[in-house]
Amino acid sequence: MTTNTTRDAAVADGSRQTTGARGTSVVLQNLNRAFGVTKALDGLSIEMAPGELVALLGPSGCGKTTALRIVAGFETADTGSVLVDGKDISHVPANRRDMGMVFQSYSLFPNMSALDNVGFGLRMRKMGPAQRRRRAGELLDMVGLSPQARQFPHQLSGGQQQRVALARALAIEPRVLLLDEPLSALDAKVRLQLREQIRTLQQRLGTTTLFVTHDQEEALSMADRVGVMRQGRLEQIAAPDELYDHPATAFVAEFVGVMNRIPGELAADGTVTVLGRTVQVQDQGGQGDEDGQERPSAGPVDVLIRPEGLTMQVIEHGNGIVTTRTFLGSVTRVAVLLSGDVTVQIDKPSSEAAALAPGTSVSVTVPPEPVLIAPRQ
Amino acid sequence: MAAVAETQEVRAPRRAAGPATVQPGTVWRWVVLLVAAVYFLVPLLVAFRFAGIKAFGSVVSEPGFTSSLGLSVRLAFVTTVITIVLMLPTTVYVHLRLPKIRRLMEGITILPIVIPPVVLIVGVLQIAPGSLKSTAYLLALEYVVLAMPFAYRAIDAGLRALDLKTIVEASNSLGAGWINTLVRVVLPNLTTALLSAVVLTVALVLGEYTMASLALYQTFPVWIYVNSQASGQVSVAASLLALFVTWLFLMLITVLGTRRSRRTGGGAVTLFTVARQETRGN
Repeated sequence: MTTNTTRDAAVADGSRQTTGARGTSVVLQNLNRAFGVTKALDGLSIEMAPGELVALLGPSGCGKTTALRIVAGFETADTGSVLVDGKDISHVPANRRDMGMVFQSYSLFPNMSALDNVGFGLRMRKMGPAQRRRRAGELLDMVGLSPQARQFPHQLSGGQQQRVALARALAIEPRVLLLDEPLSALDAKVRLQLREQIRTLQQRLGTTTLFVTHDQEEALSMADRVGVMRQGRLEQIAAPDELYDHPATAFVAEFVGVMNRIPGELAADGTVTVLGRTVQVQDQGGQGDEDGQERPSAGPVDVLIRPEGLTMQVIEHGNGIVTTRTFLGSVTRVAVLLSGDVTVQIDKPSSEAAALAPGTSVSVTVPPEPVLIAPRQ
Repeated sequence: MAAVAETQEVRAPRRAAGPATVQPGTVWRWVVLLVAAVYFLVPLLVAFRFAGIKAFGSVVSEPGFTSSLGLSVRLAFVTTVITIVLMLPTTVYVHLRLPKIRRLMEGITILPIVIPPVVLIVGVLQIAPGSLKSTAYLLALEYVVLAMPFAYRAIDAGLRALDLKTIVEASNSLGAGWINTLVRVVLPNLTTALLSAVVLTVALVLGEYTMASLALYQTFPVWIYVNSQASGQVSVAASLLALFVTWLFLMLITVLGTRRSRRTGGGAVTLFTVARQETRGN
């Protein structure tokens, strides 16, 4: 996996700067938190290795921000604990936790210049003015904002403000870096740049980082591991490719990436027949499915297959008709209407997709590999 | 970015169209302004003519002028200090921890305006420490109650213009405790709002008549009234002088506050709203 190899390489060649951050592990242990009757966190446990970037991904209200705020010390868990380097910090106030945080909304102090914002944490650590200014200057340089050092937050663009906020959080050499949807207020292009910048810096400094986002692309592209959350619980935590290729639950499968739902028939022997082919059902960890429904043991189900997992051939009187084509660069996503009013998306190399004009009759088949299933919708 | 761009776009054509074609809206604006100016300025001019220039010279040497003005200024100072010390932490706390009771707070703080001053005096007398009851500073306690609606609204407006929760949390996460957060992060961003609160409180104290006169203390407004029995011209001159000094004071604070807040991106200082400029986009 690319991200892991990069990180391992960085460790191996010693390019990780020695900071106080080195070697900090974070463990969230069975966190529970209820707001009234709503369970924001329902037994959440995560173990983060030193230097790891873990993204918490999930729809709004899934509890990911609550988890982050508990680690930061802005919320308290009803039960459960947070361990940093093996020590329970549940009763340590936020200002003594040594955690750098970047917020979703612009959080720079309006009365201070960019330089003073970055230096604030150092000032609180009683660092002298000269040293503080030098260190703050270095950090601004690191995020590429040296020319803006004397500017006030209102004179900076949103992207620049978030970079200053990042520099400010990193200035204190935090043991843990917490990112609360830091990119969601920015426009697409800036978001992409900043995403790379955060990841590069994080790897260089080796700061253990917890990153909360609802944007799957962000999570998959930046994190070593992504934890998909739903209703206060962790559905699955795994490396991005693992999550994409082997989702543990139907929720994860559909939340991460694009997923087709095709009606199939589950037999008692654990095979499922879909589009005329009988295939094995992938092991789904034996968990109950969405809304607590148990996985059906036999009968009608939906089979979940990714757009690149389906094959199709142009054939007269096939089982589907091409309806639309969406050019995505090297691949083209083709929508095919199957009998029974089911539309599926299939990815084809753009060169091949040229022959698939809307109205073309095609035959869509499932490869002979185990598939995921979900209760029929 | 949107906000900035919009205002510029809106302004540009208006400026261009200005001298050539006068729009009806512009005419009405001037009419309203003129009527208001006549309404406010004519009584002042008449008062000025009635007093005559000489009266202004003799105001200062009138018996009781210095002592009454001194008392009013001292009361203004004490009232302002108590008001800020009470209202600032309260309002900050409500914003941070009890946002749900903000409406209730608004309701409570409006009470001094609707309750007759006599009732307030009785209320303050009930709880004031005995040692204060024989001094003029009892008035300060009453003025604190009177100033509450204005001070609360000014500070509340200032806090609303800030993303208080986020900057307080940012400050905490960087290692600042409560005192450092309040002194270095919250207060500097509230200077404009606090100035507004101070201005309103001072203006209120310098102009309050009913309570002082009921309590038989000769504050400046009471002195003006008492003096008007003896010499109408001098007391009118004193009123005008007081008005002018207060106005000068307000202007000074407004200009200084605006300059300061512009530097850090805040809006102009007005008494009740502190508009913060939209952040430029990405």
